Amino acid sequence: MEHSLRLDGVVKRFGDMVAVNGLSFAVRPGEVFGFLGGNGAGKTTSLRMVLDIIRPDAGSIEVLGRSPGRDTGRRLGFLPEERGLYRSMTALDTVVYFGRLKGMAAADARKRARALLDRFGLAAHGKTGVDKLSKGMAQKVQLATAVVNSPELLILDEPFSGLDPVNQGLLEDEITGAAKGGACVVFSTHVMQHAERLCDRLLLLARGAKLFEGTQDEARALMPARLEMVSRHNPAGLEEVSDASLVGDAGEGWTTWRVELAAGRDAADLLQRCTERGFPLRRFEQHRPGLHDVFISVVGSAEARS
Amino acid sequence: MTSRILLIAMREFRQIAATRSFWLTLLILPLVFAIGPLASRFMDRSETERVMLIDRAGGEAGRTIARRLELDQARRELAALARYVDRHHLRRADPDAPWSRQDRAFDDADVARFVAAGGVAGALPAIRRIRAADAPEFEAPEPQFVLVPVPADLSRAPPARLGALLRPLLRPGGDAKPLDYALYVPAEFGRSSSVRLWSNGSPSADLVQSLQQVLGRELQARYLAARGVPVSVSGPAAALAPTIAVETPSRETARQRTLIRSILPLACAYILLMSLILSGSWMLQGSVEERGNKLIEAMLACVSPHELMYGKLIGTVATGLSMVATWAACGLFAAYATQGSIADMIRPALEPVSTFGAVATILYFFVAGYVMVAMIFLAIGATADSMREAQGYLTPVLLVIMLPVTILVQAVLRGAEGIGVQVLTWVPIYTPFAVLARLGSGMPTWQVIGSGVLLAAFVAVEVVLLGRVFRHSLLAGGRPGMAALGRMMLRSDAR
Repeated sequence: MEHSLRLDGVVKRFGDMVAVNGLSFAVRPGEVFGFLGGNGAGKTTSLRMVLDIIRPDAGSIEVLGRSPGRDTGRRLGFLPEERGLYRSMTALDTVVYFGRLKGMAAADARKRARALLDRFGLAAHGKTGVDKLSKGMAQKVQLATAVVNSPELLILDEPFSGLDPVNQGLLEDEITGAAKGGACVVFSTHVMQHAERLCDRLLLLARGAKLFEGTQDEARALMPARLEMVSRHNPAGLEEVSDASLVGDAGEGWTTWRVELAAGRDAADLLQRCTERGFPLRRFEQHRPGLHDVFISVVGSAEARS
Repeated sequence: MTSRILLIAMREFRQIAATRSFWLTLLILPLVFAIGPLASRFMDRSETERVMLIDRAGGEAGRTIARRLELDQARRELAALARYVDRHHLRRADPDAPWSRQDRAFDDADVARFVAAGGVAGALPAIRRIRAADAPEFEAPEPQFVLVPVPADLSRAPPARLGALLRPLLRPGGDAKPLDYALYVPAEFGRSSSVRLWSNGSPSADLVQSLQQVLGRELQARYLAARGVPVSVSGPAAALAPTIAVETPSRETARQRTLIRSILPLACAYILLMSLILSGSWMLQGSVEERGNKLIEAMLACVSPHELMYGKLIGTVATGLSMVATWAACGLFAAYATQGSIADMIRPALEPVSTFGAVATILYFFVAGYVMVAMIFLAIGATADSMREAQGYLTPVLLVIMLPVTILVQAVLRGAEGIGVQVLTWVPIYTPFAVLARLGSGMPTWQVIGSGVLLAAFVAVEVVLLGRVFRHSLLAGGRPGMAALGRMMLRSDAR
């Protein structure tokens, strides 16, 4: 099985509104895949189709080599954006229940649930009712229900929303641990820091349509490279530079410039050019665009266009 | 798929069974069965009333009154024994004994024979010899009146002081047992017709009637004697009483037979209604919870909406039926393992429905009725975001079911199976109640089968249509209006 998850031309409409428009992508085993988009971009709808909670109007979806369905459910883990638990059940019973719904034998589910609660620091609270747990503890229990079956495909819908920093770290460890174990992890988010730390590849979505799919470097390459340099002359005349703006006086005849490189050129080309031409430099500092910048640029401009 | 449905059903069952309200509801009927007779035994205060006779007229009037009270008590015991003998088919113990006669009201001669033969104590040995092992022991009624001795100060006190002396006896303080009546027969009684009766409450009509008869005869005898009628004539004349022949054409009329046959089916109709009312909120809670607690997406990632719905349906129906089964088991235990009024009531009711067909018919309509209404509750729960919102629907639905059913059951009890009862039999939402209520009165077989098939078809269509409402409501926000509900029912696509 080359891909754990593959969508091909998937379309989903709700009345006149097109929620997902011709979406195609594929994710391999062991890969952490970020599903990035603003509110209403179609992330949750897409994930619901993958989970077979709703069905696409067009296109095809393949989950772990098969059509979406409850048969693949036992190899799948899911953490929804809106989280809740049965308040009257204990933490242990809750995890066991979801494990059993995913096809685990009772003894295996119980053993695995105990191990997870132990790992999440909840060993002493296994018999505590969910209604008596703190919010942070309940969030850990919810995470345990998602991974109790050691899923091959772990789908997380806005997993970091509402989590405290400790639980965010715990979740990041689970994501990287699952991927190292060979699982494919797909998570949606609009918080770019998490995506930057975790994603091998990512997809940018706006108004149901894919705007970008690739690695973080490829995403950053969508943005013009920026750097800051201190020189004696205006760098605007150099052919690698598309725009240069004066930042301020650096003293003793030196000035600080913010430089934007021309498309297809990188900082190394400019540095080489400066050296060849004897262009005096005192400081040369490259600024890598963050995913946040890429997101704002790509998604923002797409939304502005529509 | 089946295992997931059962897992959901088991969780539903466990969740409901873990609530206090479930156990309270489950145990309330057995507790009533168990505590009712005991409580009445322990809490019933003695009904025997204490009577004091202050006879200043020579003692004859007092002795006559005492004999009359004893005679009346013996008559009550004889009547009770005769009912007991008739009910348990024990006349052959002594066909000539007064307690074996049901053909006339017991006169003084019958009572005298009964007393002469040893009363209840004299009759019981013969009765016990042929009595069935499961028949209860005869319990004689307690005396209606008992005479208490007159204290010395009262027997010597002048008539004018009697009221003052009796007051503390009639209204004693604390826990002292009060005197109920004090009768003063003055020395001039005979010349005067006045006697005085003190009572600590409204006087008993039985006592007043007995006193009037006894003292009236005394006055009549004196009056007749004063006019030359000898006592040998006036005495027997006063004792003359009509023999009242009692005819009971059939101990068990058609209506009585119908009533006895109807007890169990009617009880089932009432229990069905009652258990639905009691467990309705559990069913709502079951389907509201996933939406209210934002669990639905996590659940739907593991199970299909169909599995979730069937699991919940089975879980809630199993809870309700286990409650009813517990009640039934307690009823059977009360009928066959205990003695007493409840056993006496249940046992005859079970006899007419002891065939497999009758039991299967009752079970079918009971379970089908439960599933039908449970499905409605489930759909209501699925469209509501909170219990409060769901309860808003529950009450009107219960009223729509309850009011016609109550009228229907009353009509069947009165034997008035008019057009209304016939029509309700064929309205699926009332079919289980109507059929259960009518089964005892001899409903035609074709109607039982026809209404059963109709009910099965209705439940099948209901599960499909309300199942669509359940599915479409799971991830929908807000409360759907009637038009939206209609559209949900017509949308056959799963999602």
